[in-house]
Amino acid sequence: MSPAKAPLLEAVGISKSYGARLALDNVSLAVRPGEIIALLGPNGAGKTTTLSILATLLKPDSGHVLISGKPRKSDPTGLGRMLGLVPQSLALYPTLSAAQNVWHFARMQGLARDDAKECCRRALEEVGLGDRASDPTYAFSGGMKRLLNLACGIVHRPSVLLLDEPTVGADLQSREQLLALIRHYADVGAGVIYSTHYMEEAERICDRVLLIDRGKLIAEGDLEKMISLGGSRPRIELTYRGQLPDGRFGSLAGVREIGTTTSEGKAILEMNSFAQVEEVLHGLRTLGVNVVDFNLHSPNLADAFIALTGHALRDQVL
Amino acid sequence: MLRAVWLTTQNEARLLVKDPIVLFMLLFAPVVIITVAGYSLGSLYGGSANSFRLPLVDLDHSELSAEIVNALRRESSVKVELVGDAAQARRMVSHRDRTPIAIVIPAGTGRDLEQGQAPRLVLFADPVRRVEVNALELRVAELCRKVTESARRRAQDQLEREVASIKESVRRISQQVEQTHKRAQSQWERDRKEVEASIRDQTNAAIRQAGAESREALQERQKQLWEAMQKQLSERQSALSDLQNYLAQLQSAERAFDEWLAALKEAAGTHARDIPPPPALPSPPSAAKLLLLATPITLPSLDPNPLVLKLPHAISVKAPPVPAFTLGDLAEELSRLESLSIGTLPGGLSFAEHAALEHEPVVVNAFDQYVPGFGVTFLLIGMMLGIALTLFDERDWGTLKRLEVSGAPLTGLLLGKLFARFIVGIAQMVLLFAVGWALFGMSLGRNPLALIIPTVGISFAAAALALVVASIATAHDSVMSLGVTISMAMAAIGGCWWPLDFEPGWMRELARWLPTTWTMQAFNDLMIRNQPPSTALLPLAATIGIGAIFIVTGLLRFLSLDD
Repeated sequence: MSPAKAPLLEAVGISKSYGARLALDNVSLAVRPGEIIALLGPNGAGKTTTLSILATLLKPDSGHVLISGKPRKSDPTGLGRMLGLVPQSLALYPTLSAAQNVWHFARMQGLARDDAKECCRRALEEVGLGDRASDPTYAFSGGMKRLLNLACGIVHRPSVLLLDEPTVGADLQSREQLLALIRHYADVGAGVIYSTHYMEEAERICDRVLLIDRGKLIAEGDLEKMISLGGSRPRIELTYRGQLPDGRFGSLAGVREIGTTTSEGKAILEMNSFAQVEEVLHGLRTLGVNVVDFNLHSPNLADAFIALTGHALRDQVL
Repeated sequence: MLRAVWLTTQNEARLLVKDPIVLFMLLFAPVVIITVAGYSLGSLYGGSANSFRLPLVDLDHSELSAEIVNALRRESSVKVELVGDAAQARRMVSHRDRTPIAIVIPAGTGRDLEQGQAPRLVLFADPVRRVEVNALELRVAELCRKVTESARRRAQDQLEREVASIKESVRRISQQVEQTHKRAQSQWERDRKEVEASIRDQTNAAIRQAGAESREALQERQKQLWEAMQKQLSERQSALSDLQNYLAQLQSAERAFDEWLAALKEAAGTHARDIPPPPALPSPPSAAKLLLLATPITLPSLDPNPLVLKLPHAISVKAPPVPAFTLGDLAEELSRLESLSIGTLPGGLSFAEHAALEHEPVVVNAFDQYVPGFGVTFLLIGMMLGIALTLFDERDWGTLKRLEVSGAPLTGLLLGKLFARFIVGIAQMVLLFAVGWALFGMSLGRNPLALIIPTVGISFAAAALALVVASIATAHDSVMSLGVTISMAMAAIGGCWWPLDFEPGWMRELARWLPTTWTMQAFNDLMIRNQPPSTALLPLAATIGIGAIFIVTGLLRFLSLDD
């Protein structure tokens, strides 16, 4: 990423309300060539609204979007073709073959027949579906559909790729393939906005992170900066049976309780270092806590999110 | 825009080809349904498909009953099964399928009809199958009417033949009378002339004889008269001579008196003036006259020849002419008989269906009615499947959004989808009509190509309606429930399933605002009433107009959803 490069896509102070509900509140962002920006937030945070506005599918109540520094309306077709949208849902025609799906979107993107043919072949090869081009989409696995979904979004080689949770439902192999492909796509010069609530995906491929919650951009920065916002202490996540003692974990030295869900028998404790794990587990046994499982993890974006918002992303346990 | 429309249309075609179930639903399911409907309901309209069984008991065994049986056997909608008795026929109606009625021809039916009575067939009907019963009763009523008409016509023909025979006889009698009359008149004339001659001869002879006898008698009488007259004249001649002598003496005496008187007067001297004059004596006839009296009477001498009577030489006997013999009343009667007209037997009042419009057939193939109605229904449902559902799916899947990002206008995408389905709708109707025509003999009207006019209209309106449904549906399931409900209601109210006249006034008024109504009107005009293509133009305009309202509404609604 080069800071000197002009933004491919830029949103300036965009806001959007649905009735009385403020879905997006004065959000600004910009993506530059070769940059992957993670749009991170829980469900309902405003990620999809943001992507829709960036894709110019939705008009903001205020603010504006610029594509290569120009408003879309200045060249609706030309600027529109700079964008590639990969929606969260599988925007595919199930009965058509993979090639027919990609072909349709390529043609709709304005590619001539010959170009479309070549682009289709290349897109399918890139996502690893070249040998399944003639197979009907409904026969694909969930992961393959995700790959095809991506292929349809990149077939016309857009300058900006807008990805809305592209790995949802994908198997591990497909997910890895998708992430690699997205990274590759950015590496060859495209700007990518990657909406997700999977912290680890954002941590793996994104250059910058935008944390969004309840329509507000609560933090923005590179990965290191964002992780540091959540602190640097490791955590242990416990699964226990039985009752917690009175005073909970207060008697354990160097341990801070981050969150506990007693109904599920889960608790998250922050330690000074991973060296403290054995001591903590021993202390828990001393307190009469029957630990049946535990996980250790380093500080990450989820921690930062929790630290910034006081609540977790989806699928994250407090 | 046009590129988006065209590419979307192509993609829709690919989607259709790739989805055989939908393709089947759109193209072949309607064919299956109209086939089933046509065969199932066709017999109610006189079709041969799936005809009813008709138990028939002939207790009459007359020519008439044979005629009834044969006529029923010619009915394509029934299969006649002759059974032995009424009880068996009733059992068949009660216990067998497709046997809604049985017919019994009572003994004496033919005879009674020939004798001018009103025999009745006996029908056993299954009340459960009232519709079928009504349909068959109509057939039987028509059959009875035809049989009665046939019998009446035969009777009329027989009467006319007999009258013709009578007229011929009368004509011959008239000729004979005429000839006899002429012969009689001729004979009479001859007889009259003979009588006249005979009378004349006899009269002449009698006259001649009477003349001769009269002449003799007259001559004798003349002689006697002459002699008597001679005698009387002689006596009178003698008396007259005496009188003449007396008068001559009187005249002498008068002269002597005058002389005496003159002597007296002379003698009286002066006294003569005192003597009165003597009375004047009448002047005696002149001497010539007196002489004439004295002249002897001379009787004309009688013709010594015998008296000849002048008798007509011939008596002209003229018998009265033979009165002109006329046949009088007889001729009139014969003439009347010759022009005798028996009139006509009173016929049975019935009706004959005629087309209200020129070129309009009276008998309609059941498929003529079902194919357009079911076709339009399936077209509407097909549009709901093909447009409303897939549009909702595409909204749901995000394909529309992905395409929109490309710069393709949403309007173009929607119109492309509508255009593809519009073409499919036309193909659907064309296929239905082709199948109906090829397999079931459905009428395509006087100009089959004209059917494309309402087809285009309803395809457009149905596609536009589907867009509206897609734009107002809030969930995938609601698309079909809403779409099918609207389609069914439009089809029903619009006259696709039954005639509009069955509906109450407010519903007919509502129907005027539905494209289905106008389309069915056009199809009926073109296919059944055989009207020219121009009759479909107004319905086309109405359908397109309604469709335009739909499409504008749908687009606006869809675009607002997009915002």
